[in-house]
Amino acid sequence: MNIKAIEQRSELLRAMRNWFAQEGYLEVSTPIISTNLIPEPTIANFATHYISEFYASRELYLIPSPEIHMKPIIAATKRSIYQIIPCFRNREQIGSYHNPEFSMLEYYTVGADDTDSIAITEELIAKTALENTPEHLLPPFRKMSVAEACHRYGEFDLDKTQSIAALRREAKRLGLDVPAAAESWESVFNRIFLNFVEPNLPQEKPLILYDYPQQIVCLAKKHRDRPYRQRWELYAGGIELANCYNEERDKNIVKNYYRDQYAILVTERAQTGEVIPDVDLSFADIFDEEFPQCSGVALGIDRLLMLQGGYKTIGDLILFNFSAIIADGM
Amino acid sequence: MIKAGQIDKGTALLVKGQPFIVVEREFVNPGKGSAFVRVRLKSPATGQMLRETYKTQDNVEDITVDDRDCQYLYNDGDNFHFMLTETFEQIEIPMSSFEDYQFIMKEGETFRVTFWEHQPLDIQIPTKVIFEVAEAEEAIKGDTVTGATKNVTTDTGLVVRVPIFIKQGERILVNTETKEYIERVNK
Repeated sequence: MNIKAIEQRSELLRAMRNWFAQEGYLEVSTPIISTNLIPEPTIANFATHYISEFYASRELYLIPSPEIHMKPIIAATKRSIYQIIPCFRNREQIGSYHNPEFSMLEYYTVGADDTDSIAITEELIAKTALENTPEHLLPPFRKMSVAEACHRYGEFDLDKTQSIAALRREAKRLGLDVPAAAESWESVFNRIFLNFVEPNLPQEKPLILYDYPQQIVCLAKKHRDRPYRQRWELYAGGIELANCYNEERDKNIVKNYYRDQYAILVTERAQTGEVIPDVDLSFADIFDEEFPQCSGVALGIDRLLMLQGGYKTIGDLILFNFSAIIADGM
Repeated sequence: MIKAGQIDKGTALLVKGQPFIVVEREFVNPGKGSAFVRVRLKSPATGQMLRETYKTQDNVEDITVDDRDCQYLYNDGDNFHFMLTETFEQIEIPMSSFEDYQFIMKEGETFRVTFWEHQPLDIQIPTKVIFEVAEAEEAIKGDTVTGATKNVTTDTGLVVRVPIFIKQGERILVNTETKEYIERVNK
């Protein structure tokens, strides 16, 4: 058992709690078991069963992120909130940077947008980093738009590859084998991004990659004047560490997101037999006129600890991690 | 054909007509995207390294390989010479494709070698191997700082950083991937 890692986690979490308290964030605690989830077709879910003699027994789900419970708290309190909570993603492969159960820090800042969240996150990392954290993992962050990264490392103009046909042409030019079968714009984009862009992103400093293509559907607001969403990902040491949205507050857009994404999820999972969670459309009703402008960040605590502590894999610091459990069971 | 999600370390694939062995595999989920697998492949013929990222649902062309026992005879500076224990046939494998293997394989020992249509693709080395310490500096007396280490050289010529209590003639267990000391072997 890695005792040093246990101590480092305690130290990091204490520093984070102190920082958030000082900045006026409310720490909240929400359930990890839920009756319904936000539909996200690419995240496979864990289901469990509640047994009751008095009520109808039913399937319940482990949360892949605490968003579903945190946004109603923002609606009720109108305050900036945060929490550190276990999250669960099924089918997640066990690798250097993945474990099906992991620890997430999620913080929402009221009155802020995604640009403000960059400065907030820089401050958070600067003030809470473990001793001896290497310089290349510390602020200031470097900033680059996704379009600029595509131009620099994939040599194509993202503004001009908004159609699937144009994007496929670029993929072909780069020498990628894209299957002939119909594939979404997002999927072709990810092929190009993962083969040519992401491996070449600079690592001398943490990098904020911002303005993601609007075709990658999520609950981040769209820009009015360009085909991108107000969303960023933080890369450090070459891996994805955090994700930020300028949160969508339009009730109808959230409702449509629910309908469209749930339809995709149900169609795909009906074929594979994977867990289809319940969803609750009334979630969208919290987005009334009073719901405050806010920006949300989700940050992987295990990956942060791995980087700052100089570990090679998150398995080195997650106690009783899946690979250990599964290997023992075999 | 297999699904890219089934690729593992050691899987043999045909990429653009050439056989490659997967030496590293990592799963990636781009923010909000579906699952991808990123692999690093090595061509045993040329030592060429390749990086590919597939969707886990993509089809990739795997090749049927078979493992045979081969006795390591010696190296001539360019090639490792092996003998197939079943047929006594001798084969050569370029040393450039298997960096540092000469410091890990003991002459006379038998290894599993992966073949594809008579072409040797991979030499399988156990992750943990016991070596004898051939040369070790004497620990300086009074140096009892915990965590102090020194270099030793194994009977195969591998240099390993070990705790200072390890002496010449002792046997040590070493991780062959990281070349790091694991523990002293008493028996």
